Amino acid sequence: MDGHESNLPLAGIRVIDAATVIAAPFCATLLGEFGADVLKVEHPLGGDALRRFGTPTFRDGDTLTWLSEARNKRSVTLNLQHPDGARIFKELIAKTDVLCENFRPGTLEKWGLGWDVLSQINPRLIMLRVTGYGQTGPYKDRPGFARIAHAVGGISYLAGMPKGTPVTPGSTTLADYMTGLYGCIGVLIALHYREKTGRGQYIDAALYESVFRCSDELVPAYGMYKKVRERHGPHHNDFACPHGHFQTKDGKWVAISCATDKLFARLAKAMGRPELASSSIYGDQKVRLQHANDVNEIVRDWCSSLTRAEVLERCYATATPAAPLNDIADIFGDRQFHARRNLVAIDVDNTGETIIVPNIVPKLSETPGRIKSLGPRLGEHTEEVLKDLLGMSDAEISELRARRVI
Amino acid sequence: MTKRTRSASAASQTIAETEQTGGSGETTSPLAPDSTSVGSGDQEASATPVAFSTVDTFAAEAPFAERSSENPDRMPLSGIRVIDVGNFLAGPYAASILGEFGAEVLKVEHPIGGDPMRRFGTPTTRHDATLAWLSEARNRKSVTIDLRQREGVELFLKLVAKSDVLIENFRPGTMEEWGLGWDVLREANPSLVMLRVSGYGQTGPYRRRSGFAHIAHAFGGLSYLSGFPGETPVLPGTAPLGDYIASLFGAIGILLALRHREKTGRGQMIDVGIYEAVFRLLDEIAPAYGLFGKIREREGAGSFIAVPHGHFRTKDDKWVAIACTTDKMFERLAEAMERPELASPELYGDQRKRLAARDTVNQITIEWVGSLTRDEVMRRCLEKEVPVGPLNSIADIFEDEHFRARGNLVCVEAEGVGEVVVPNVVPTLSETPGRITNLGPPLGNATYEVLRELLNISADEIKRLRSRKII
Repeated sequence: MDGHESNLPLAGIRVIDAATVIAAPFCATLLGEFGADVLKVEHPLGGDALRRFGTPTFRDGDTLTWLSEARNKRSVTLNLQHPDGARIFKELIAKTDVLCENFRPGTLEKWGLGWDVLSQINPRLIMLRVTGYGQTGPYKDRPGFARIAHAVGGISYLAGMPKGTPVTPGSTTLADYMTGLYGCIGVLIALHYREKTGRGQYIDAALYESVFRCSDELVPAYGMYKKVRERHGPHHNDFACPHGHFQTKDGKWVAISCATDKLFARLAKAMGRPELASSSIYGDQKVRLQHANDVNEIVRDWCSSLTRAEVLERCYATATPAAPLNDIADIFGDRQFHARRNLVAIDVDNTGETIIVPNIVPKLSETPGRIKSLGPRLGEHTEEVLKDLLGMSDAEISELRARRVI
Repeated sequence: MTKRTRSASAASQTIAETEQTGGSGETTSPLAPDSTSVGSGDQEASATPVAFSTVDTFAAEAPFAERSSENPDRMPLSGIRVIDVGNFLAGPYAASILGEFGAEVLKVEHPIGGDPMRRFGTPTTRHDATLAWLSEARNRKSVTIDLRQREGVELFLKLVAKSDVLIENFRPGTMEEWGLGWDVLREANPSLVMLRVSGYGQTGPYRRRSGFAHIAHAFGGLSYLSGFPGETPVLPGTAPLGDYIASLFGAIGILLALRHREKTGRGQMIDVGIYEAVFRLLDEIAPAYGLFGKIREREGAGSFIAVPHGHFRTKDDKWVAIACTTDKMFERLAEAMERPELASPELYGDQRKRLAARDTVNQITIEWVGSLTRDEVMRRCLEKEVPVGPLNSIADIFEDEHFRARGNLVCVEAEGVGEVVVPNVVPTLSETPGRITNLGPPLGNATYEVLRELLNISADEIKRLRSRKII
């Protein structure tokens, strides 16, 4: 096992995750999966708010999201608002490669822990700063959550029925996770640069920018033609038809997407109506787009005459791109998820209980990541870290504890 | 002000200008906590009526201005060569990111027509480029090679031998059919890092099924959650979301693998299924089903976690998002509504009470928001620090001062098309910010250069390859 550990790409990298909830912490989670030692620095009272986000468990009331997403981390309690807490934090920073934080701009500075101070203590430090709006610009001080970021970044406007109430784009935490991904890319690029130059830097990530960046031609199409994209509902027929969600006889849903004429020909064959793909009918994407309602109607009628299993079986037989709209129960029963080991059962330490969490993405052939443990108890590793890393004595530690610094 | 000039060939000149600016010692401290961006909204507005920063201004006016002349090439990934042989976005976007931070990206395309993304989306005056192509194929050189011909495969292997990273997204088994499986590629270059993106991944019973983002959103569980309870599930905002998400995971895999290669000299293969990239982001949905059998359903504009937490229509028929995740935030909202009593413990001060009275609390919010214009709701909420945001359309985004100040929109000259506004680089790095050197290249614009200079193939031979449609 040890040989495997030291073989991981981030073995020897120490990360301090002083952030809360999902966005910046998810970056630390990814780094931890691939070998980094992640210290979760939390406030002694209550710790990370993620411990209370979602469904509580038998383990000190920590939620499932905490257990799953704080995987591989060691919890160290430290009150950064206390001068002694700030002092200890600086001592830890001197021995750290990456710091992840998501305080509102100016907060760390107020505690004397701004980038200028920290980078002087450790010029090799890489710091990921995540906020709703970024470290600069007129809105930088506004409170920002993923839902607000979805709205500001332009993705919420696009989700929902045309002219109807815009809905959540699938998941309320999407922007948090996506920002964690962007942040992680920033940190890895900065590590690469540090290898060459010895110099650290900081990464300024904003929740709204992460969703905004993933908007295909939204920006240039407005810039050039003043085209304002509206909500599409279940069908996006600007570029391809059919491309949407269809209900089956048993009240379930399938997604079908025919991005090209060849794919539509396969669908026509699956429907037992190959003539639909002839050039005189709907063989041409441009014609289908002009008659999107009619084409969708045909596919809708066909889908509603069959069960979901039947629709999918026929689509797969002709290699038509189609899939069930899986709910989580479908996912737990799916053999592809099982074959890929996307779900993994992990013991919750000392409770005799096991929970199932999403496994690591991406899969690396030589150095796959690993989940060593689930989210730690609050302060579970405070003592070992202060002793091992900073050489503190038992007396010092109990004195700090008495004063609620840790 | 040279940095205001829009140069025709934006990129290389931009970098040169940046260095000059640095030499003159014009720096802004990135350290001061309250330092606003150099390119702040006011400045932009007074300088030009055009809402976007140009490539030039982004590079020159980025808030991180500490520049050194001792290291002229500050790009962290300079010296890394990436081959992107994928189509559309799932995987290729990872190449875009690497390119933004200094990697050389060669887009290897079929000689006839090239990447189908050249025809996907809104057309431009250039027959080989839609707007989506121009924006997302940024920072690439195009090299045409027909991988379905034996000589094309040989040529490709020579290119692989001189590259660091290969990105592909064919249906699993396709590259193997062409004689370009991982075993062959790895033999050609033992230190190669290869990213393979596909709908379902390289393994498992569904690996051969065709998968696009739309399919992956459904299969990965995201589409089921989009829309109103009991009603038609809608698209989760944008069609290619999963392509981007898979690429972000892919880029992380590549950067990890490059690090491992630095230490060991050995390359490896990264395998991403679009569906699993999407599924990975669904917070506690898996453990909650595993432990309690809880199936999450569509939640419309709301969330099971908190109330009010959703989208509300304003008097002028626009929309705002309000997210009161904690009691404190609801208290602020009640103050903004000038009804502080709503946040009392007897009424709705407690999240559990609000969740129990979800419809009533939402109705109160709907009525208040509906009685005011969007600007007015925003002003009152912001005054009390309620988490609020407009549901921006793209037109709103182009008008927004924060997008402008952050340089999120950037105007870049595209060969044969003119200026195109595209989203700028994310994330922002203080020492080594990324940059856009060029937009989606014309088909085959670097074939000759790459074959001649990198592979040392003679001009005559190149001519012969071209006449036989191998390149």
